[in-house]
Amino acid sequence: MIARLRQGVRRWQDRRAPPVAQVQLGQRQIYIMPDRSGAGFAVVLLLILLAAINYQNSMAYALVFLLGSVFVVAILHTFRNVSGLRVAGAGTPAVFAGEHARFLLRLESAGREHQAIAVGWSADSLQSVDVAAGTALELELNLPTATRGWLAAPRMRLQSTFPLGVLRAWSYFNLGQRVLVYPRPLEGELPVMASAADDSEGEGQRVAGQGVDDYQGLKDYQPGDSWRRLHWKAYSRGGQLLVKEFADLRGRELCLDFMALGGDLEQRLSRLCHWVLELSREQRPFALRLPDCYLPVDTSDGHREACLRALALYGQGGA
Amino acid sequence: MTPTIPRISLGWLLLAQCLVIVPFWPHVPLWMVGLWLGCTLWRVQIFRMRAAFPGLLVKAAMVVATAAGVFMSRGVLIGLDAAATLLVATFMLKVVEMRTLRDARVLIYLGFFCVVVAYLYDASLPWALYSVLPVTALLTAMIGLQQTRLVAQPLATLRLALAILAQALPLMLLFFVFFPRLEPLWSLPIPSNKAQTGLAESMTPGDVAELGRSAQLVMQVSFEGPMPPRQALYWRAFTLERFDGGRWSQSEMSRGLPVAAWQPNGPQLRYRIIQQPGGRWLYGLDVAHTDLPGVRQMADFRLTRMQPLDRPLLYNVTSSPQAIRDLQLSEAIRRQDMRLPANGDPRTRQWALELKARYPQPDALVQAVLQHFHDEDYHYTLKPPALGADSIDSFLFNSRAGFCAHYAGAMTYLLRAAGIPARMVVGYQGGELNPAGRYLTLRQFDAHAWVEYWQAGRGWRSADPTAAVSPLRIDQGPEAALAGDEEFLSDAPFSPLRLRQFSWANDLRLGWDNLNYGWQRWVLDYQSAQQLNFLNRWFNGLASSVLPVGLLGLLIVLALVLLKPWRRAVDSQLQVYQGFETLLARHGLPRAPGEGAQAYARRAGRHFAAQAAVIEAFSEAFIAQRYGGQPADVRQLRQQFKAVRASLEGVHRVAVRESS
Repeated sequence: MIARLRQGVRRWQDRRAPPVAQVQLGQRQIYIMPDRSGAGFAVVLLLILLAAINYQNSMAYALVFLLGSVFVVAILHTFRNVSGLRVAGAGTPAVFAGEHARFLLRLESAGREHQAIAVGWSADSLQSVDVAAGTALELELNLPTATRGWLAAPRMRLQSTFPLGVLRAWSYFNLGQRVLVYPRPLEGELPVMASAADDSEGEGQRVAGQGVDDYQGLKDYQPGDSWRRLHWKAYSRGGQLLVKEFADLRGRELCLDFMALGGDLEQRLSRLCHWVLELSREQRPFALRLPDCYLPVDTSDGHREACLRALALYGQGGA
Repeated sequence: MTPTIPRISLGWLLLAQCLVIVPFWPHVPLWMVGLWLGCTLWRVQIFRMRAAFPGLLVKAAMVVATAAGVFMSRGVLIGLDAAATLLVATFMLKVVEMRTLRDARVLIYLGFFCVVVAYLYDASLPWALYSVLPVTALLTAMIGLQQTRLVAQPLATLRLALAILAQALPLMLLFFVFFPRLEPLWSLPIPSNKAQTGLAESMTPGDVAELGRSAQLVMQVSFEGPMPPRQALYWRAFTLERFDGGRWSQSEMSRGLPVAAWQPNGPQLRYRIIQQPGGRWLYGLDVAHTDLPGVRQMADFRLTRMQPLDRPLLYNVTSSPQAIRDLQLSEAIRRQDMRLPANGDPRTRQWALELKARYPQPDALVQAVLQHFHDEDYHYTLKPPALGADSIDSFLFNSRAGFCAHYAGAMTYLLRAAGIPARMVVGYQGGELNPAGRYLTLRQFDAHAWVEYWQAGRGWRSADPTAAVSPLRIDQGPEAALAGDEEFLSDAPFSPLRLRQFSWANDLRLGWDNLNYGWQRWVLDYQSAQQLNFLNRWFNGLASSVLPVGLLGLLIVLALVLLKPWRRAVDSQLQVYQGFETLLARHGLPRAPGEGAQAYARRAGRHFAAQAAVIEAFSEAFIAQRYGGQPADVRQLRQQFKAVRASLEGVHRVAVRESS
């Protein structure tokens, strides 16, 4: 019953705070209630009022009214301290599963100072910052990741009990931030198969191509060839531009193949991820073949990203 | 999560603690100064990492030792004085074991409560003003607890606290005036302030002389209408009937017997008295009547209440100076007021018999005695020579120097010896008029004793032998009558009353008195009856609605001042832009999710070629203001929006829905 109620409240809050790229906190977003020490404050006021009544002491009355009024004024101050603050999400770099995703937040003052603003995913993991008048600051919120794929940032909580600590103003918002989580890299055997394109040429045959292991000879430079393989010595001797040619030792072009691996889906993806990283680090060209897509041989950073992305999103149907 | 207490807050807390306990110094034992210093130093050392927090055992030992100390110096652990002392001790000890923000908050709450207890001891104007300091410091410490900044400015915190207090002030006044006052829910003891000087239920003449040395406030009286002349201001407290040869005391009868009915007669005097604590009796001019609940009038026309007065009391009195008191004298009272010691003072008795033979009418006899006091060589002094065994004889025939109690005692004795029922009345006489406030102030040195005697057909009549001896005492007060008498005010060496001969100082003193009187009358005594009076006079039945309406009004004003909603220029830009979006959407061209302002404008320009220029201009202005760092100028934006709207007037919806 309570769980359902809580769910209902949550849905209502989500409806009130749909995902947006930037929020400026106003009265639609801010909730305000006395917190626990506010209850303590109320008890103290009650005791003073009792003393005032029983001793017919006007000054005790005056003090209880003063503190009561301070409480009322504090409602405005607490609200004001949060209100007008602009919160925007900033870019979030991709991470590997098991690492902490780092969501960047930008808090910007629209004119007044905001003190002791606490931001976090829930009420018990909050970071406190001050935003000086007219400035902005960036804040990093960490979130542990477990599985690959897109991870949407949960609803964020921003709160402040400033200035008196007897009232809490808070707001929930969803900046629609999400982070791409790559599979967790897992070491293992190189999952290769013969290059898919040249499958017909059979095993063991040396294949001309841009392998890295074995030197095969020189050929004329053509635009697009890697500069790293230029035969500089020959060029410096006054000859023409030549490119060294290598062939893969094993006679195959490297193609990381999903089908070459055993184990369950996640394990296979993790292995592939490991090798994508490894080969990219070594500058070795490779291709990646997944059951539903093929990424041709390349060594560029873009290739690496594309491979990782494909691994992260494999089977999740998202772009 | 154990956030530590920020440095600024700790500083303010220690200062607040110091300020909170200052008013308690006269009321707590002296060793608590040491306790406070020790605790404060310890806490500072903890902050400087030079000392550790006390362990459980140490804490328990400290609590027990402090409680024992309170018990030793107070004799009890219950009762209000002890409770207040314990509260202050707790307040001091708590600072040592204050680790977390929660502890600090408890300390602050304790501090507020200590301020209230200090009001129970003394709520006079100076202390009430003083209490603004501890309250401000406590509030500042409270704010400091919330600050996360390590290097916050202590004065900025103070400024915020003062701002909040200032904003709370109008609300507080509203509550103070309109919040209904309740009768006490249960009765509570008041802290015993200090040894009370004042009239006592049995007195030797020396006790009255004692009062002459004190300038302590007794009461303040303000009259409705003209004030009677000073010579008529005899404020009755009670009567003394029993005489044992040296001491006059009250009889049970006049203390316990209710008054016989009397009829108000002639013109009436109405006045309002604020009486300071002490004693069970109220004061009034003869014959007094008050509507104050719980007050009864006794056989000797005194006004008395069940409980001794433990706080200042405000009450209204109506007096009928010409009312006849006790046309019929009951036998018991006659017997009591004729009683004399079995023997002693033979010369006085002898003289009384002579007088009685010459003046058969009591009135004539009293006149003769007064004349005698006036004509013969009698002196008025607070420093009379010691009297012999037969004190009345020795006073009337030998020393012939004394003050009111001597004269009143001797005359009562004389009248009784002459067969006239008589008794001594004790109270105050005169009072100092404060010209600014038009009220009378009576102090202990205005204490007075006079005589009343009973005459058939006329009832009780008053006579003042002191007035016969020293008319100055009645006309101008004891100071004038006692000029040069060093006993006067000798208990109050620093009293501002001593400066009365300097007129500027006197004006200052009277002004200050007036302020205090106003404070007492309008603030401290603003309780249920007063409140009802005030509200009826000014709000006439609307009082119940003023509080909520005023509260709402003040809050709205405060919210406007604090939040300044008209300053939301940034939001108004967005508003205008949203209007633009709605306008285009109505023409069949809603903004796609994620579409930027520029792209949207370009797309709109393609669909509404004729209006493309206006749309482009609006969009560019919006972008320049919002993102290009140009100053916000909502008016210009609005004008351009109006131009767009005007240009789209009459243009039909675009038929083509974009597929992408």
